[in-house]
Parts: sequence; structure tokens; C-alpha cells
Amino acid sequence: MRRAGVLLLALLAGPAQAAWQWDAPLEVSTAVGAAVFPHVESANRQGIAVSGGTVGVAWEDNRSGAPRCYAAFKPAAAPAFAPEAALSAGECYEPAIAPLGGAGRFLAAWEEDGAVWARVLPGGKPLRLSAAAAVQATVATRGDQAYAAWAEQAGRFKRIVVAALAIDGDAVTVRAARPIEAAEPADEQAWPALAAVANGDVVAVWEDRRNKHTVPYGSRAPAGGLDFAPAARISDQKSGRVDGLGAGLGAMRPTLAPWGADGSAAVWLDKRDFLSGYDVYVAFDAGGRFGRNQRVQDSFGDNMSQWHAKVAARGDRLVAVWDDARDGTPDVWLSTWTGEGFGDNVAVPAAAGPGEQSDPLAALDETGALHVVWLDRGAEGTRVRYARAVWK
Amino acid sequence: MKTILLAAFMACVAATAAWADPPQGYPFVDYNAGLKAAKESGKPIFLYFGRYGCAWCDHTNKKTFSDAGLKALYSDNYVLVYVDAESGKRVTLPTGERITEAELGTRLNAFATPLFVYLTPQGEKIVQIPGFKTVQDFRDYDRYVRGGFYKKQTLLEFLGGKS
Repeated sequence: MRRAGVLLLALLAGPAQAAWQWDAPLEVSTAVGAAVFPHVESANRQGIAVSGGTVGVAWEDNRSGAPRCYAAFKPAAAPAFAPEAALSAGECYEPAIAPLGGAGRFLAAWEEDGAVWARVLPGGKPLRLSAAAAVQATVATRGDQAYAAWAEQAGRFKRIVVAALAIDGDAVTVRAARPIEAAEPADEQAWPALAAVANGDVVAVWEDRRNKHTVPYGSRAPAGGLDFAPAARISDQKSGRVDGLGAGLGAMRPTLAPWGADGSAAVWLDKRDFLSGYDVYVAFDAGGRFGRNQRVQDSFGDNMSQWHAKVAARGDRLVAVWDDARDGTPDVWLSTWTGEGFGDNVAVPAAAGPGEQSDPLAALDETGALHVVWLDRGAEGTRVRYARAVWK
Repeated sequence: MKTILLAAFMACVAATAAWADPPQGYPFVDYNAGLKAAKESGKPIFLYFGRYGCAWCDHTNKKTFSDAGLKALYSDNYVLVYVDAESGKRVTLPTGERITEAELGTRLNAFATPLFVYLTPQGEKIVQIPGFKTVQDFRDYDRYVRGGFYKKQTLLEFLGGKS
């Protein structure tokens, strides 16, 4: 009888589904005030990274009276983030950060005084990466590989440039840098995202306006070089006029993460259903070609716009985060890949409820733990907040 | 040779007509310049929130903003500001916060383009109106804004009560 009871309990417990279990949230920035405006936007929404258990967060705010970039770190065993340090000396925007080997080492890149710079954190001297005026820096690392990308002026428009970097201690140097496309751009290219994928290739996606509307494009370079294949659209929507009007539907801010044996996953905001604002879409690349586009958010997110989408992946775990106001005010939402599609949308508990919680960043660490940063706008000012979750 | 030049010219015309930007001939300026000009002139701001390649923006430009009387009305009485819904160009809000034009769309919850936003000369929002609108619609919105009706009525109340 007792054995039957135990068996029944085991059967009842069996179907219980795993879910993200969240730690208490933490404050990241020490500067909070009605006139202090922090921003965590960057190309690939790359403002959080985890290196050997240490969490690094980079952002921009105007506490000094002008936009400056800052970074704060929390070692695995620390109960809170250490006070932040300035990344830059000049006017700075959209900092990105990626992990380097060893605990608590990072590669950061940012826009400062109209150019793109990089440095190793902590320590490390800034190195100017861009030759001409440039914006929207991002970084990607894997093992001893390190890359940066940005949008650099080339004639009338900007184009995407990728650099292979060498890291020696706390020094960063450029091994090679070249535009993805050698020809001058026919229209604006912007907001690059990079992934150093498992087989050593590097994949790039970006916003491209060559079709006279914004289309996410992508390309891949084989391991060891920057010989990118011809750029191809990752949206499966065609460009073209609608009843003789316009040039095509909207899309913006592609993000990218390595995924699978040699592939990547791109997530972006897409307006193909223009009656519901921007939706979150995903496409998977395997070997250099992005496949069918799939909508990420569930039907409870219909009839409203999604914003600030970001993809993060590690091992067999893939998540997308964004914000929308389906519950009345902006909250941070999360969906986890089930193997066949993205699962039910769940709110990040500390980034949901009354008030405005938005602009999520996300990273998965080597243990599979999820790290999320977001902005929390309240009457006293905007706070940069962080929470960690484990899947169980 | 003339045929080739003509074909090239027509291709350029077709290309420039293929996407939506501010309506031609209107003195649209960017957000920062517009806020500065509005403070100096005391004129309200008419903010056109468009998107590169937007079909409904194109439609509105061709069907509505082509009207000469509307062009004169809005050019004379408003500071005209154009914002690109997907742009990373930076704007400075009246609070002093610097954000991108795309982020301004998030703050306005710009669900669809075109989106038309009327602002006071100090940059405070009066009303925002999405989608295609007619010449008469824009004449009504002008009366609502410059007539000061927005201080006492919602736009719907105002439009419901108009003769």
C-alpha cells in the first residue's frame, strides 16, 4: 500500500515542468536620480556577459552631465555588484561587452567621440578600432577568438566593418579589419550583431536599407578569416511596393547568438503584421543560410508592439527576451526554445508589475544559468537592475 | 545616348519615389532642430513619425500632403519635424535625456506609421494620431491644436462636437 502511494506521488510529480527559478534582483548602477538617464542599448544588445562566474554589465548614463559609459561587475560569490567604473573619457554611447577566458575578464567596445573603441576589462588601455566615423559597436568571443563589428562611414552611407582581435593579457590589438562588403554601400547599414559559432566561423547580421526599407541581412566568414560570403537577407519577406506604395515592411535591431553545431539564431523586431506593431521573429542559420522565419511571442502578445528583443543561447538552451505592455504597463517577457518552437511567454518576476520595466539584456553562462538586466523607470528615476535564474 | 540618359533619369526618379520620407516641399527638420526652433518661434510642433519604405506614409504624402492649401497651413503655422521610426539617430528630449529616434517611437508607443504627434512649443505632447488621414482631418486637428481646444477637450470630444 505504501509502495503504491509512493508510486502515485512519483507519477504526479513526473509531469511537473521545469521552469526558470529566479534569485532576488540586484541594483547595478549606483547613480539614480530624476535627471539621470541610463541606457543599456547597444548593437546586439550586448551589455551583459558572464566570465568565469563574474557578471559584467555595461551601460551609458549622463550622471556627469554628458553621456559616459560605465561597467560594473559581480563575482559569483559576491552578494552585490561592485561600484561601477567609467569605461570612457569622452562622450560615449552604446557599450557592448563579451567574456574572455579566465574569471572576470571581458572585452568591451563602445562609441566615443564619433569613433569605435575597445579595451580589455578590468585594466587595459582603449584602442581605437574604426578608421572613419563610426557608431554601434558590438563584440563576440569564443575561446581565444575575439571579434568586434561596427557601422562605419563609407561615402554617403555607413557599412558594417568586422575586426578580428588579438588579446594578450590586458592588451587588445587588431589582427585584421575589413568591411563585410568591399563595395561602397548603396544605402545605410547599421546595428551589427556577431556570433563566433562552434565550428570557428563568424556570423554577422545587421540592418540593411539597400532595398529602400530596413531588412535584416546576414553573412558568414569561414574560421580563421574575414572572407565573408555575399550578404543575404535573413527575412523571408520580400521587398516591394504594396499597391504601388512604399518599398516594404519594417524590421529592426537584429540580435544573434551561436546555436547548435555550427549555426546561429537571429532574433529581431519585425513589422510584417503591421496591424500589431513590431513582433519578435527568429531565424536559424545552419552553415551560412538562414531559414524560415518564426514568430517568437505567443498570442497573448498580439495586438501590441514588442520592443527591445534579444536572443541568448548556450549549449542546448535558447531564450528570447523583450518588453511589451500586454498586462497594461511595460514588462520584461521571456520565452524559452522547446526544441520545436518558442514556449509560453513568462514575465521576469522582478521586471513585471506596476511601473515600467523594459529594455532587457540577457546572457546564459556555462552552467546554463540565465542573467538578465533591465531598466526600471520609477518616480525617483530609472534604475539598472539585474536578476539571475536557473532552470529546474 | 539621349535614350540612355533618359532611362537613367527615370530610374533615379523611380528609385527616389519608392520609399517614404517627409512629403516633398515641406520644411521638415530633425527633432533637435525642431525643438529649438519651436522654443524660439513659439509655434507648436507637428511631428511626422514615419518609416523608411512605409507604404501608408507614401500614401499619405501623395494623397494628403500634396494639397497646396494644407502645405501652406502647416508650413506657416507649425515647426515641422520628421522622425524615422527605425533610426539610430540621437535626439534630446525636453527632459535632457538623449535617446534614438527609434526609442522615441517606443516611448510614444508608435504602434503604426505614419504617426502624427502635435507638441507644444516646449515639446510637451498635445495629441498623437496614427495612420492615414485626409486633408480635412489635418485641418480639424489644426483647429483643435491652434484653437487651444485641447486644453478642455479630448480630440474625440472635439471632433464629435464639430459642425
